[in-house]
Amino acid sequence: MKRRYWHAWQNVLRNRRRSLVTIIIAAVGCAAVQLAGGFAQFSYDVLIEGTIQDSGHIIVATRDYFVRNEESPMQYGIPDASAMRERLSQHSHVRWVLPHINFSGLISNGDKSLIFAGTGVDPEIETEVRGPYLTWESGSFGKSVDGRPFVLLGSELARSLRAHVGSSLTLLSTTTDGTMNAVDVEVSGIASTGWREVDQRFIYVSLSTAQRLLATDRVSSFSVFLDDNAVTGEVLKEMSGGDQAHVYKPWWEQAFYYHSVRQLYNRIFGLLGSIIAALVFFSVSNTLAMAVVERTREIGTLRALGAEPGEVVLQFIREGLLIGLLGALLGTLLASFLSALLPYLGLQMPPAPGRTVGYALKVSISPLLYFIADFSVVLLCVLAAWFASHKATRKPIIDALGHV
Amino acid sequence: MHAEAISLKGIVKHYCVGDETVMALRGVDLAVPVGAFVAIRGPSGSGKSTLLNICGLIDGFDDGHYQLAGVNVSCLSEKERTHIRRQQVGFVFQSYNLMPVMTVAENVEYPLLLSAIPVQERRQRVAEMLSLVGLSKQANRRPDRLSGGQRQRVAIARALIKSPTLVIADEPTANLDTTTAGQIIDLMKDLGARRGATFLIATHDDRMAAHCDQVCSIVDGMLQ
Repeated sequence: MKRRYWHAWQNVLRNRRRSLVTIIIAAVGCAAVQLAGGFAQFSYDVLIEGTIQDSGHIIVATRDYFVRNEESPMQYGIPDASAMRERLSQHSHVRWVLPHINFSGLISNGDKSLIFAGTGVDPEIETEVRGPYLTWESGSFGKSVDGRPFVLLGSELARSLRAHVGSSLTLLSTTTDGTMNAVDVEVSGIASTGWREVDQRFIYVSLSTAQRLLATDRVSSFSVFLDDNAVTGEVLKEMSGGDQAHVYKPWWEQAFYYHSVRQLYNRIFGLLGSIIAALVFFSVSNTLAMAVVERTREIGTLRALGAEPGEVVLQFIREGLLIGLLGALLGTLLASFLSALLPYLGLQMPPAPGRTVGYALKVSISPLLYFIADFSVVLLCVLAAWFASHKATRKPIIDALGHV
Repeated sequence: MHAEAISLKGIVKHYCVGDETVMALRGVDLAVPVGAFVAIRGPSGSGKSTLLNICGLIDGFDDGHYQLAGVNVSCLSEKERTHIRRQQVGFVFQSYNLMPVMTVAENVEYPLLLSAIPVQERRQRVAEMLSLVGLSKQANRRPDRLSGGQRQRVAIARALIKSPTLVIADEPTANLDTTTAGQIIDLMKDLGARRGATFLIATHDDRMAAHCDQVCSIVDGMLQ
């Protein structure tokens, strides 16, 4: 067996330049698939992280919260929030339980009033969990200096209101019983989420401010953050077991943007991968087809000596296999090297549509993806070898022997 | 053992060239005893190569009967013909047709490899055969490092290594100088006698014909 591969290798070396070009094409194809797939994987990871940072691993709310529209604010909110938060926090995998109150209304600087989409949060934990993911323009999540209720403004909203840290604003909203209520707040910070549309509307206030404005003691939902994304399903099962009053949704059921991007990328990179696969296939089959034509008399001789067509095809398949293995090996080395190098080059991707900030160009090294790409390249080379040789080995022996 | 290595009766073969049908063989009858050294002579296009190809089971025929070592091989499938070629037929080509990536020993060994002979026996038989053709020292050389005569010796060794019933040699001395051609003829005859192989040789060479037990002339697809 070893000798047969040695002969196959010698045959590969018979036309070194041609074989080298084919191996390089296989290697570049393999590396391209690994890099493109690695970039897609990195993007998915970033989107997953972003989604989890936004919603937590698990969102807990009342059953009606997800399916019905509220007729009055906090109609489907969670009553007795402290007990619920306490219960959720007891699970060993839970790191944080963040209560949220979602509300909307008008924000005014006295001269101008704009619509806002507000969230009531626990400022201390929110600063720890979400703070690092916001681009701070000024101030912080913290309390205002004189103890007045504070507000964190989206950068675009702050610009529209000509507000800065320390500015006084008024929030107007409808209470749970349908009357209008207002709260004066002081701007404690201005930040950007990276989404222009969100930055034009969002505000964060403390839970107590939101509850005072809405005249409620309820919260809209809890975002549960775990210590490991891998245990989400397991924790979800344990938490939801026996609790009929609430719905527990994992992050992936709320990750609409992630799913759309993934679908889009899968199509784009799938098409790219197919084109690369076709290039590798035709390149290798072209090389081996030329080798087959050049060695037609050899094929005739082997057949005359008693070799079955399948045995002759196997000889070419071994050559295709060696080309594929070398291509896959070189491609993997190239992709690994470039993936490791990229973070040091500091290359930036432009902002995605709708976003205001770009992100660093990085490529994940996924062993599974590398294996699939390597296996595909080797398989393509083997198929190309079969494709190039199977017809020639069935040519009449006297025609093959008479080939010039 | 059967008395006749090959027995052909009424072999007809035609080719279609465009719209025309060319009769290559017109009812050839030929019987060759085991161990005979037979030359087939004839001008170009007379059908001698076609006859050899049919005898070597690398080409079919349209009508007639052919027995190889007493076995009717007229209506075999391609797979069965391949199997018989592997076991019973050796070939010596005018241009040697050695595998360039294999060494001399590997070229000679190849037919045994196809027959799945155990490695120890293969090595022993190859060494023995290379010694008989005088190429023991060149065993590990590639064919491109050998002279024309040496290459033809390798081809003869390859043809005889499996002790075939029939060896087909198509113009085996055409590419060799007179002295080397003489040595090759002597070698084939000597080894053929030792191995009990029947040689069927297509040739233009009078010296070759002079060494043969039987000389058949073929003209326009008919044996004279």
